[in-house]
Amino acid sequence: MRLTARAVAALSRLAGIAAAVMVLVAVLVVCQMVVQRYFLHQSSVWQTEFVTYLLIAATFLGTPYVLLVGGHVRVEALTERLPPRLAAWSRGVALGVVATVSGVVAWAGATLWWEAWANGWRSDTVWGVRLWIPYAALPAGFGLTFLQALALLWEHVARGAPPARAPEAGE
Amino acid sequence: MSPGVAGALIALSLVALLLAGVPVAFALAAVAIAFLVVAEGAGALDVLGETVFGTLDEFALLSIPMFILMGAAVAASRAGADLYEALDRWLQRVPGGLLISNLGACALFAALTGSSPATCAAIGRMGVPEMTRRGYPPGLATGAIAAGGTLGILIPPSITMIVYGIATETSIGRLFLAGVVPGLVLTALFMAWGYVYAARSGLRLRGGGRRYGWRERLEMVPRVGPFLAVVVGVLWALYGGLATPSEAAAVGALLSIVLVMVVYRVWRPRALWGILKSATRESVMIMLIIAAAGLFGHTLSTLYVTQAVAEGIAALDVAPWALLLAVNAFLLVAGLFLPPVAVILMAAPTLLPIVERAGYDPVWFGVMLTINMEIGLITPPVGLNLYVIHGIAPGVRLSTVLWGALPFMLCMLLAIALLALFPGLATWLPDLLMGPVR
Repeated sequence: MRLTARAVAALSRLAGIAAAVMVLVAVLVVCQMVVQRYFLHQSSVWQTEFVTYLLIAATFLGTPYVLLVGGHVRVEALTERLPPRLAAWSRGVALGVVATVSGVVAWAGATLWWEAWANGWRSDTVWGVRLWIPYAALPAGFGLTFLQALALLWEHVARGAPPARAPEAGE
Repeated sequence: MSPGVAGALIALSLVALLLAGVPVAFALAAVAIAFLVVAEGAGALDVLGETVFGTLDEFALLSIPMFILMGAAVAASRAGADLYEALDRWLQRVPGGLLISNLGACALFAALTGSSPATCAAIGRMGVPEMTRRGYPPGLATGAIAAGGTLGILIPPSITMIVYGIATETSIGRLFLAGVVPGLVLTALFMAWGYVYAARSGLRLRGGGRRYGWRERLEMVPRVGPFLAVVVGVLWALYGGLATPSEAAAVGALLSIVLVMVVYRVWRPRALWGILKSATRESVMIMLIIAAAGLFGHTLSTLYVTQAVAEGIAALDVAPWALLLAVNAFLLVAGLFLPPVAVILMAAPTLLPIVERAGYDPVWFGVMLTINMEIGLITPPVGLNLYVIHGIAPGVRLSTVLWGALPFMLCMLLAIALLALFPGLATWLPDLLMGPVR
């Protein structure tokens, strides 16, 4: 189980790296588009759509990583004043909510992805992307977030009082 | 379930989940999904994937991570320290000069990033220890930085205004311009309070450090100048209609990274990766809130809550100023519990038609909403800037920070009142540079 939790954390970090690379690629592609449109006076075909999907993918794939490092904003005003037992319970409940939400969204995303795949949906633009490709980020990102939340929950229960934030490697 | 009851239950469950420490994005999504299923059955989940995906399927949203990256690059360098140092050299002889330099640095830094916590962190890291060292009371020092940091979302570029622009289909360029004058007014109000406080308690006399000559003052200009030039360039491209916000922001981000590499010699892959990583973290956090708020909004309108609230307010048939007061009170309360982005996505589309029917300008309303959100950033329970300040100065009690920030909050309320009395503060500059709307 411990090994599984570690494996999930490693996957989340990997997804976080992928998200960061996607953000960087988005910057470069938009700059390329600016040059193409404003300096070479050519019209752009794929860039706008590509970077929009890239950013969506970065968001969903980055979500498990941000959960792992405790980066999602939350209200700490009440929980940090609670007695330790209650605080531990509320942390458990919070992780349970995160897991449930992620599970439901991952399942809904998987359905959407399957429909797009089976029916060969394409976006109604000049570029006409096969939509199962960008849609895949939804089940992938939230599926991993589901696993990550479960892993954190398991650690929380097993250890009794885990740290509120997991320390980040290299920091 | 009547829309009124549904609305009340939704609000209560959301507050309960938030207080239990569920991350904001997940709390919004959990409430949205639960109520959708209760009211419409499991079949309502069919649209879940498309709603979450579709909310983010918008090219203009790309400007958010781009502006965050631009800010992260500048924040990772010594640019914040240099800005602060430059202003200190120029304003050293003014009573409360250090405090005023800090506020000025916050305002300038706000122009380099679109984010309040980033501004707060970049200036506070240098400003708070230095002010405390020179005998400024900790409450004043931390309160001023917490408040000064909130200028990040008022002075362009501003992530809050991008989200407002997308949610209400208002020109982002116009919104950015509209934030300039109120941002300067608010900065001036903050500084005025700092001056009054310092002049009264004679803070100037307590070890002001060494004196700087003109050469030392001027030598700071080339270090901070290029960054300001990038920002002005980005904004100019926006207003001139040369580029969309996302395009201008992407070029700005790339230029900022290049400048940080050239001016501050931040070129090690490790440092650059750190910039990219922190920007990604913040973007993901904000974008996920946006996606969840989209889902939340979908549930509210499916259950007719949004429409009921709008009709309820419209049926009140009160004078425009009373309506405005009610709207501001609502925004203030919502801002206490939710980050600006979430409040705007949920409230703006509902409130704007009402406010517009009362004869107010959408751009002007965006600015007013933003100042309301600024107050929420320095008040518990979700005052992001308070957490940032707490991270910088762990020794200062939260209540001390709050008391120190209180006069600055009053300045913000005064700014809202000024804006209500003189709408031209917001609309004059965009009208001048971009021409009147209609």
